[in-house]
Amino acid sequence: MTPEPIIHIENLHKHFGETAALNGVSLDVYPGEVVLIIGPSGSGKSTLLRCINRLEAFQQGIVIVDNIPLTTAENINAIRTEVGMVFQSFNLFPHLTVLENVAIAQRIVRKRDKHEAAEIAFALLEKVGIPEKAADYPNQLSGGQQQRVAIARALAMNPKIMLFDEPTSALDPEMIQEVLDVMLQLAKEGMTMVVVSHEMGFARAAADRAVLMDEGLIIEEDIPDVLFSHPTQERTKAFLSKIL
Amino acid sequence: MRIRKELERIPGHEAASHRIDGWWWLVAAVIGIVTILALLIPDPYWRIVRFVSDGLLVTMGVTLIAFILTLFTGLLAALGRLSKNKIIRGLTTIYVEIARGIPLLVQLLFWYFAFPSLIQAIGRLIQYRPLERYLANPFAMAILGLTFCYAAYMSEIYRAGIQSIPKGQNEAARSLGMTHNQAMRYVILPQAFRVILPPVGNEFISLLKDSSLVSVVAVADMTRRGREFMAANFLPVETWMMIALLYLVMTLISARVVAWIERKTQTEDR
Repeated sequence: MTPEPIIHIENLHKHFGETAALNGVSLDVYPGEVVLIIGPSGSGKSTLLRCINRLEAFQQGIVIVDNIPLTTAENINAIRTEVGMVFQSFNLFPHLTVLENVAIAQRIVRKRDKHEAAEIAFALLEKVGIPEKAADYPNQLSGGQQQRVAIARALAMNPKIMLFDEPTSALDPEMIQEVLDVMLQLAKEGMTMVVVSHEMGFARAAADRAVLMDEGLIIEEDIPDVLFSHPTQERTKAFLSKIL
Repeated sequence: MRIRKELERIPGHEAASHRIDGWWWLVAAVIGIVTILALLIPDPYWRIVRFVSDGLLVTMGVTLIAFILTLFTGLLAALGRLSKNKIIRGLTTIYVEIARGIPLLVQLLFWYFAFPSLIQAIGRLIQYRPLERYLANPFAMAILGLTFCYAAYMSEIYRAGIQSIPKGQNEAARSLGMTHNQAMRYVILPQAFRVILPPVGNEFISLLKDSSLVSVVAVADMTRRGREFMAANFLPVETWMMIALLYLVMTLISARVVAWIERKTQTEDR
């Protein structure tokens, strides 16, 4: 018997005004799985990711996360506490120190007391390798450091799922690896991850499945090695020839 | 912190907030003129100062109370205008448009003369005696009038400040499970307050000056006391020169404080 999917997406439609972003996407993600979503810009991959924790509203379709359907406001907030998200532009809170960035949601949403939240935050900063920056403000950090703080901030909520929206696209080349290393470690620990990224090295090393999207549809999916070396669809071949 | 220290090492880039603002001399000059006039020509200048000093306290009181109320009311109106609820958004938008569309003097006259009459008429209609006998307190009506008008302008400042915070901040907060209100309170507003400090300070100065309008609705502020002194002594030039100087002292000091706050937030933002 196959396990229950932890993310179930069925026939998802989303349009911004006249422009269609998703044209009926269905995708199941299983616990512990690392799924990589690739595709040309405007293909709907980020939109799909943002529909999983309802940062984007959608017009039609079903999204069920950890057996909670994305319907009411309470459900949406319940899901958001279980789903961590890492953004392309980090989005750290600039008015708070690094430690406060990682601690604030624990205190407000998880209702942890000050000391517990700070201890957990510090432990997570050690995990992502920058405990010495705890008292600094985000704008004193490099991009790679900021993104690692953002990962720690999401992990502080003890999420069951982590969503990564092009986490390395805004980084200088020499900083990409430090972020990917943290992501690889997470994958090794069994975190369920959905990653929008074109980092092929990460895909080969950590992803269980790669999904190619184009024009709001899933074109093809397979284990990364197979998809990258033996694509069956013309659109996959065309896209891969551009990025590989 | 470290970047600030680095900056301080560059010559000519000393932290601006530590330097004394060059325009304080103007404040000192105006205070000096007032002092010299009062000392050298006590009649009439010192007499004017003594006569209007209670009005000066009223002016400060009206301004401070109205300003504090404006800060709260303006925030509520701004949140209303940014609300997803169409009715709340519609009502607050109508309020802002009305309050900004009518001259402040007309609004003050309305609150003092027309509003109590309306309350009394309603009282007669429903035959409720306390309302029938309602009498306006000039001080309260003046503060109501100033707050009603200024909160509308203040709400626009708040709104601009809130909207200047990148959308990603709200998304990050919401993705961590914060509710809309929590994201506002802990993430958006603390950042927005820094942005709007200078324009809010300027609103304070405007309010201080416009508080002179309450003199027409039976509040004995400095302007009204000046009129009383002039009427009793027939010294228009001396009276209004002194009143103008006293207002200048207050507004110039306020402007320096606003400029200081502005520089301080800028250096903190690095």
